[in-house]
Parts: sequence; C-alpha cells; structure tokens
Amino acid sequence: MLKGAEIVLRCLRAEGVDLAFGYPGGAIMPLYDALEGSGVRHILTRHEQGAVFAAEGYARVTGKVGVAIATSGPGATNLVTGIADAKMDSVPLVCITGQVRSALIGTDAFQETDVFGLTLSLTKWSRLVRSIEEIPEVIAQGFHWARSGRPGPVVLDFPVDLLKASMEFDRAAAFIPQSKPAERYTDSSFCETLIALLEQAQKPVALVGAGGKLSGAVESLRDLLDRLNIPTFATVHGLGAVRPDAPYYLGMVGMHGTRAANMALDETDLLLVLGARLDDRVTGEPTRFAPHARIVHFEIDPAQLDRVRRCELPVIGDLAETIPAVAEEIANFELPDWSSWRAVACGPGRAELDPRGLSQPTVRFLDELFSRLPENNVVITDVGQHQMWAAQRYRSASPRGFITSGGLGAMGFALPAAVGVQLAKPETTVLCISGDGGIQMNIQELATVKRLGLPIKIVVIDNKYLGMVRQWQQLFYQRNYAETDLSDNPDFVEIAGAYKIHAARMGEAEVAEYPMRETTGDAIDRFLRSPEAELLVFDCHPEANVFPMVPAGAALSEMVFEEE
Amino acid sequence: MNVFHIRYRNTQGTLMRILNAASRRGLDIPYVQAEPVEHTHQITLLLEVSSKQVGQLCRDWNAIVDVIQVRAGAPLKEATQVPLWTGTPYPPAMAHISDDTRASAASA
Repeated sequence: MLKGAEIVLRCLRAEGVDLAFGYPGGAIMPLYDALEGSGVRHILTRHEQGAVFAAEGYARVTGKVGVAIATSGPGATNLVTGIADAKMDSVPLVCITGQVRSALIGTDAFQETDVFGLTLSLTKWSRLVRSIEEIPEVIAQGFHWARSGRPGPVVLDFPVDLLKASMEFDRAAAFIPQSKPAERYTDSSFCETLIALLEQAQKPVALVGAGGKLSGAVESLRDLLDRLNIPTFATVHGLGAVRPDAPYYLGMVGMHGTRAANMALDETDLLLVLGARLDDRVTGEPTRFAPHARIVHFEIDPAQLDRVRRCELPVIGDLAETIPAVAEEIANFELPDWSSWRAVACGPGRAELDPRGLSQPTVRFLDELFSRLPENNVVITDVGQHQMWAAQRYRSASPRGFITSGGLGAMGFALPAAVGVQLAKPETTVLCISGDGGIQMNIQELATVKRLGLPIKIVVIDNKYLGMVRQWQQLFYQRNYAETDLSDNPDFVEIAGAYKIHAARMGEAEVAEYPMRETTGDAIDRFLRSPEAELLVFDCHPEANVFPMVPAGAALSEMVFEEE
Repeated sequence: MNVFHIRYRNTQGTLMRILNAASRRGLDIPYVQAEPVEHTHQITLLLEVSSKQVGQLCRDWNAIVDVIQVRAGAPLKEATQVPLWTGTPYPPAMAHISDDTRASAASA
C-alpha cells in the first residue's frame, strides 16, 4: 500500500522528473512528507512565484517539463503569473497544488481557492483530482498535454485527503490520447504551392520564431535557411535559432527590432513565418503589417493562424516534420535569383545607425559583457528596457541561449528563472540581467541562489525608474513621469551583501570609451569568471531610451531612432 | 448571429473552456444549450461575431484538448425561435426592513 503522496512522486519519477521547485504549506504537507528518498529533488524558493519561474527557466533551457509545487489558496494563486507566462511562451509546465480536503471543497474553507477555475483560461489542461485511483492516469495525461503539440502549462489540484489516503500501486499509467480529426489537415502537397509562391516572389523573407527550437528542428531549419538564402530575422524567442553570422541574418524584428529587419518586412512580397505567433510586438499595427506580402505560416497550433493577417498558405504541423519536407522538395529545385534583393535588404545601406552603441553607454556595457562571456552561456533577462537592449545586442548560435518572458512580459522573471537554468546547466555561465524594478519583484530569491551556492552572474541595470514605462511617458505622454520614479531604490550592493553575495557597482563613465578601458574589462572578466554568485549594479542614465522603436499603432516602417 | 455546434468530451472544465473563448472576447451569449449526443456531448451557441472572430473562435475551440469537432454556420431556425430569457436582469431584491423594525431589533 502506498499513500497518495507517494504515488504522486512515483508517477513524477516515471515521467522523468528529478527536480521540482516549490514552497510547502498546509494542504500540500503530505507530499513534502514523502519527498525524502523519492528521487525527486525539491528546490525551496522563497515565494511560489519564484518556484514557478524557476520551473519555467528549467523547462525553457532543457525542453523538459518543469514542475512547480504549491499549497492551496495563496500558494496556488501565487503561481498564476507563471502559469500565464508559460501559456504565452509555450513552456511545458506542470503545477501541482494542494487543495483543502474533499469534504470542504466549495465551503470557502481556510486557504481554499478554486485554482482549477481560476486557471482554466491559462492552462492547456487541468484536473481537480477526485479519487486516489485517478492519480496515476491524471499525472500521465497532464505530462502528455504539457509536452505535446504546442507545449503549455497544466495544473493538477490534489485535495489533501487524497494525498494521505492509501491504495495498492503497481506502476505509473501510460496515456494514449484519442486523435482529433482537426489536428492534421496539411499534407505534403503544400510544398507544390510553396514552390509556386517562391517562383513568383521578388522579395522573399523568412521570420523565425521559437517553433524551431521547441520542436528540436533547429539544424534542419538552418539548413533550409542556408538553401533559401533570403533575408531572415527572428522574434525575441527565435534568437539563437538562426546562425548570427549568416550573411542573410538581419537580427531581431518588431517593436525594437533592427532597422534592416523591419524595413525588409515592410517591403517583402513573400513572408515565410517559421514557428512564430505573430503577436503585436512583432507585427506593429496589424492592418499595416507586411502590406505587400503573401504569407506562408508554418505553425503547430492552428489557433495561432490568421490572428492578425490572413495567410495564403497555412502549414499546420510540427516544424520537425514540415521543414524537412520543404527542404527535400526544394533540394533539386532551381530557386529564383534573389541576389539583388538580398544586396539591398542585407546591404550596408541598412546597417544599424550606431553599430558600436557609442551613444548609449548601457548598450556599450552589454556589448562588452556579451563579448567576454564564455562560449557556454545562457542569458536570462527580466522585462523592460534592459530586455530589449540585451535582445538587440546578444548574438549567439545557441538555440536556447536567450531566455526571457516574451509574451506575458512578466517583471520578476529573470532571477528565479536563472535559478532553474543554473540547476539544469551547472557547467554553464548563467547571466541574469534585470532592471531595478524587476529585480525587486523577486529579490528574495537571492536567498535561494546563496543557499544552493549557484554561481549566477546577476546584472542590475539601475536607472532609478521603471524605464520602459518612463520611456513611453517621455515619448507619448509629454514626459509625465507618473509613478515610475524609483529614485529611492535601496542600495542593491548592500542588499546583496545582506544575502552574503558579493556585489559591485559600475557607472557609465567606465564604459564610455571605445575601446573600453582595460580596468573596466578586467572587472567584467572577474565578474563573469567568479566561481560564486556575483551581483553587478550598472548605473544607467535615468532617461536612456531603447531605439529603434516602433510606436504603438504604427507600421514597422515608421521606426523612430531618437526622441523627436 | 452565428450558430456554432461543438462536439466535446464532457471532461472537467471543457464546457467552461468553450464558453470562456467567447467570454474573454466580451461576447454576449444569448443562447446556449449543452446536451449529451451519442457517447459525447454537444454545445450549441448563438453569438454575434465578426467573420474574423468566427475563424478565431473555431481555432481556439479546436485547440481545447477534449473538443472533438467544431462547426459554424448560419443561425438554426429552432435556436432563433427560442425566446431570450425575460426574467428580471437582477437578483431578487433584498427583503425590506423598516426603520422601526431595525431599531427594535437593535434595542432588543
């Protein structure tokens, strides 16, 4: 006989789980009581949101399912932001929550919330478990849905009495889904249409999203792009999927994308979307997005098609299948000569206006930081100006090398996510870049970093403002800096010291020269190569802005490059 | 008005996920009927939506794990003939307590 809690843990092991992040509480106590010897290592964070972001970091860097555990009521509600984040960014995540005992459900009992109901619109699948016998099947099904198709979050809610109850347990269940007729309506004949569209195209481009990474199709995607040799750009989640030194690669596209990428997208007559949702940060004003283009949309989730623009050719399916199918079809096909278009779109006339970032010291600092990173690295950012600066400047061929909260844009993401990444990749240099607003949303996780001895390198870009909001206030609200002033920030060096994490400070003057002062470079090297956790505060000008920028409601061609 | 027929497995939350696809868009749902059909269930919805929303809704519904089939079309005759609910739009009013009663209760 095994208790329900022991069955849960055995089923987690059967799904390959050896690491889970969580925070205990009353209704989940039986699970914590059974942890020792279960084979599941538990990481205690200092807040449930820290746990779910850490689980996300682990999942994003490994491609495995991340697991977060919380108790009922406030424990469960504290998971909600992470669940929403996983939904938006297609992260495989299973959240296990304790619930009040079955007899009390619906009575507004102490620490009771309807976590099943409140996460319905955020989850791919969820269950309130009603009997101990259901546990093996529910866990098998939950993991299946979290990792299959377009990955996403799953919530499994366990009443505490079921975790305490016992039953005979033989082995974990296997789940075989029933097929849906709607799941596959693209066959290989799409290649003929695609080739016809390529033959007619004068200015084709490719837009790469996260789909290639998520389906493990990066190599075949790169081969296809090499073969097509057309101007190519990536969404923030597509960074790393394209070789950054490829001559046709134009960097990030969208609201803070490169000049070359946004111009090419505005002019193209054939847009190949390879595993991207096309959200509004990528498209700009939807009605003016790629105005001359026919769109071919490769996408695993049919729900994402035609959201902003009708596509001429939807290619529904896993990129791991559809990309090789295309590559095979065009292998012997003579592609049109697009060299003159490529010369314009990828030529020096559209290069960045400030390639060395000399007008923006924070960009110079990030450039220096990235150039000195060991090859084996992962960069995690929070949300805001630093996120966009980092996305603009980070160039890596590592498909899972740049991790950020893209769709939801959840401040407080970076530090706990870095915990999950570092635990998954102990030999990797993990660089966590946050802002002075974001770091304070989960700053308590410095305790987790210290407790686990994780050598995470934490950079806080401190402009003493909620910088991105302030930038919008400056540009679009007549400099009315309403409630974005953080000039009374605490001293982050002292805060790190209180957690017994070594910290230092750097200012704009130290990075203003090109090439950079040797002493500054040495300080960055020491920071990056320390065997322990380090925190570096970079004092940024309060009114530093991220450019280029596409104002809300504008077309991508209407980028602004400085305050007008 | 468009009518939608959605065949689904009646598992926990599936009906709510279907309805949520409409409610998250702020759509009123003037008519809804859910019933068992053979070994599954079917919900019929009447919604005032744009042609773009028809496509979005159908794709959202198809993405729900236990949705089996989605069909969209012109309003069904029997659906449009069902009278909309004409009861009071608010919950029953609170029982009136006179000031005298309230005062005597307080002094008791």
